[in-house]
Amino acid sequence: MDTLSASKYWPHVSPNEFLENMNNNINEPLRIHEGNNTNFCSYAALSYLPLHFDPLGYAKNMVDLYRNGKVQYGRVLLTPSPEIKEAAGRLAFKGELDIRPADQIWFLTLADHFKGYLNFFDRHFDMGDENGFWAATNFSKFNRMIRALFNFKVKAKGSDLIRIRTDDLYTYLKEKLQTGTVALFVNNMTLYQKDHRVIKPGIPTHYIILEQIDEVSNGMINITYWDYGALSLQQVTRAFLERLIFGVSHCTLKKSRKHAP
Amino acid sequence: MRPNYPLILLLGCMIVVCSSCFSNKKLAANYYYENEAALNDIEQSYRELYKYKPFSVEFTDRDLDYVSITFITEKLKYIYEFGFNEPRLADSIQRFQMDTATVLPLLRKMREIHCVWINNLDYYVDGQKKNMTFLSMKPILWKLPFTNKKYYILTFFNQPQYFDGEGRLLANRKQRRLRRINDDVFKRINDKVCYALSERFR
Repeated sequence: MDTLSASKYWPHVSPNEFLENMNNNINEPLRIHEGNNTNFCSYAALSYLPLHFDPLGYAKNMVDLYRNGKVQYGRVLLTPSPEIKEAAGRLAFKGELDIRPADQIWFLTLADHFKGYLNFFDRHFDMGDENGFWAATNFSKFNRMIRALFNFKVKAKGSDLIRIRTDDLYTYLKEKLQTGTVALFVNNMTLYQKDHRVIKPGIPTHYIILEQIDEVSNGMINITYWDYGALSLQQVTRAFLERLIFGVSHCTLKKSRKHAP
Repeated sequence: MRPNYPLILLLGCMIVVCSSCFSNKKLAANYYYENEAALNDIEQSYRELYKYKPFSVEFTDRDLDYVSITFITEKLKYIYEFGFNEPRLADSIQRFQMDTATVLPLLRKMREIHCVWINNLDYYVDGQKKNMTFLSMKPILWKLPFTNKKYYILTFFNQPQYFDGEGRLLANRKQRRLRRINDDVFKRINDKVCYALSERFR
């Protein structure tokens, strides 16, 4: 698609910027970026699935959402509120997300529609809420969103508070990667150290996509994961891996339907 | 003589109140000028190196004995942690085709002035991509009780910035909106350098 007329539903998103963003997402799916200091990591992480397995369906649905201000995506009718339509295209100081208005539409719409217990006290969007509890995603909400939106089966292991328990986490992850896409619910303070406190809260707040995991010669483990618009390879210990991961979502394409929604 | 408990309690309370009110900002504002030469040296050296091989540096422990370097390539970001004196550090720098003769002195200078983090941060003004160098310091002098602002953050811009009457960094010339970086409001040191106090170094 080369042209698209301006949408009355999204007054701050021009069709050219929208299409440019969509083209970038489809041509370089790993570049999708949740933005700096937002709580959009879950929405960006789950976007990995349609961008890799059903880019056409994703593009059609996004164009519908832009044109009509709503869309039937999978099993859900996404009908963003007027505040969301007014905010999309105006999020600023988020780094790469500043120039990705289609992603702003997508993340805001998902956060507006799907609610979990973390969103209980802030259900109404005001500017700035993208950084707070309004956009937060607990583990069960994350899995629910994938099941509702995409043609994927999700087997989830883990929780919001207690670390995942397996006999051998490395082997477990390695096996899961061979049969599907693996999303990890991780402690962000462990993955990206932000201060030098000795005692840190052991709470998961971040979602990443695991691409590869390999044991290397010195007993360390190389994990390759998608996060913040890029792939990273990090060398970690087994203990670090166990401290890091609270949830594993193993996503496999459903066989019953030939076409993704 | 019996100790005067109410007086001791009162003095204790006063010390607590004074400690919590003591302005870290004064120390922060002076920090740049006291270490100006070293900070500018680090920033320029980093900027030059970054042009050829993008990377970021983080000291991961309080004693600055461990350093984590993110080597950024087209396909992948490689994140490795090293003991500061480990030979593996120099080997890895070479493996990523970087010059140990310039990178290692940069790391040593960072360690000397307790600079715990340096990276290049992209930001956008009117849809145009710009970048800045982001440095975080953890000066040991600031271990004051009852203060939670632990890190002194400096941002080095390529071009002069706009500020409001209180010296706070603005988004651009047209918008009078404050520019937040990592959700912190920054204040002017000079036209191109700003500072903030933060609980986080990145």
